[in-house]
Amino acid sequence: MASIEPMKQFLVHEVVHIDPIVVPGLGAINMSITNSVLAMMIGALIIVALLGSAARGQLVPGRMQAFGEALYNLIDGTLVGPMIGDKGRPYIPFIFSIFMMVLVLNMMGLVFAIGNLGGQEWTFTATAQLAVTATLALITFLSVVVIGFVKNGFKFFKLFAPGGVPWPMLIFLVPIEIISFMVRPLTLSMRLFGNMIGGHVVMNIFATFVVMLAVLGMSGGIATLGWLGAGVSFFMVVALTALEFIVAFLQAFVFAALACVYLNDVVNLDSHGH
Amino acid sequence: MATSPANTTATTAPPEQGSGGLPQFDLPTWPGQMIWFLIIFGVVLLLMSRWFVPKIGGAINEREDKIAGDIGSARKLKEEAEAQAAAAAEETRQARARAQKVASEAKARAAAELAARQAAEDAKLAESLAAADVAIKAARDQAMANVRTIAADTASSIVEKLTGEAPAAKEVEAALVGNA
Repeated sequence: MASIEPMKQFLVHEVVHIDPIVVPGLGAINMSITNSVLAMMIGALIIVALLGSAARGQLVPGRMQAFGEALYNLIDGTLVGPMIGDKGRPYIPFIFSIFMMVLVLNMMGLVFAIGNLGGQEWTFTATAQLAVTATLALITFLSVVVIGFVKNGFKFFKLFAPGGVPWPMLIFLVPIEIISFMVRPLTLSMRLFGNMIGGHVVMNIFATFVVMLAVLGMSGGIATLGWLGAGVSFFMVVALTALEFIVAFLQAFVFAALACVYLNDVVNLDSHGH
Repeated sequence: MATSPANTTATTAPPEQGSGGLPQFDLPTWPGQMIWFLIIFGVVLLLMSRWFVPKIGGAINEREDKIAGDIGSARKLKEEAEAQAAAAAEETRQARARAQKVASEAKARAAAELAARQAAEDAKLAESLAAADVAIKAARDQAMANVRTIAADTASSIVEKLTGEAPAAKEVEAALVGNA
């Protein structure tokens, strides 16, 4: 009989064993392909298939090319263009990669759920792994720091001292700015991780209710009411699935948008009066 | 195959779940995930910057350029057509003006010719009218002269019949002048 194990879906286990690689100073690192790594690989393959079929360069776009161009315009026309401006064009591949990785990994946790009906575990939401969101957040954070230093040199530190502020205020402002800058990888990773894990846990619980209450309903008597609960839970799952699709897209968009905001800070450091 | 991983997780995971820990905080799974994610993200980023973005963005730019170019050439063609239409209209206007000039010239010439001929005709008519006048006058004078002779003759013969004596010609003449 089904039991409520909403965390089981997040368990990482090996799929293909690869001997640990010993890195000096870090020790042995288990490079085995786990279900998490497999999800990332499938996600990357989906991105390549999606954008590869979109990258035809036809003057009159076909279906896939129009789809790819819509995604591209979302990044170029909605995020990079308005937020960073023309100086942001070189970062379009970076923002696009972040957006696509998060979007596809989020969506995989929902779309492939069709396979879970047979009791198999098709879905593994890699973006519900803190290790993955933290890595992505660190990539974003470190890219901003590196680009900031490359573009501005030591003027990078002007980022922590907003312009037009009387100097006594800076005593308070500079530490606040430094903290808010340093906390970025944490907020980036926790936001995505929290959204994904929360949605999946709630969905899992309601989906388990469907089975548990239906089994209870089968026992007859007053317990027949269990069917009602199962039905309500089922509709909850349907509604939550719709909501989670929105969340999956929105979190990818938010992650990319924040990466744009952070990049804008350092790319347009001179023209922003920081 | 599926049993051995299940066994390995079974030894580590359930106690963690029991203590309320999330599987995501199982730190030994982190390094592998992080390094694999770095590799996969790197591959995606490389493909994105070398292949997808140049191709997709290039297609969009190419299309915009093509549309802008097409609109530009269409506008140029339209301007050319408008210039040609204006030239044609100007030509038509000039031709019409020329035709009007020719027509008015012809009309003037015709009018002048008509006037000249009419004048000549008038002159001829006036001449023959004058000649006729003269002839009429001569005939009338002659007729008037005859009338006087006839009157004198008639008067003298009447007087002769009444008096039995022919009057002197001078008297008849005087009487005619006095009566006249």
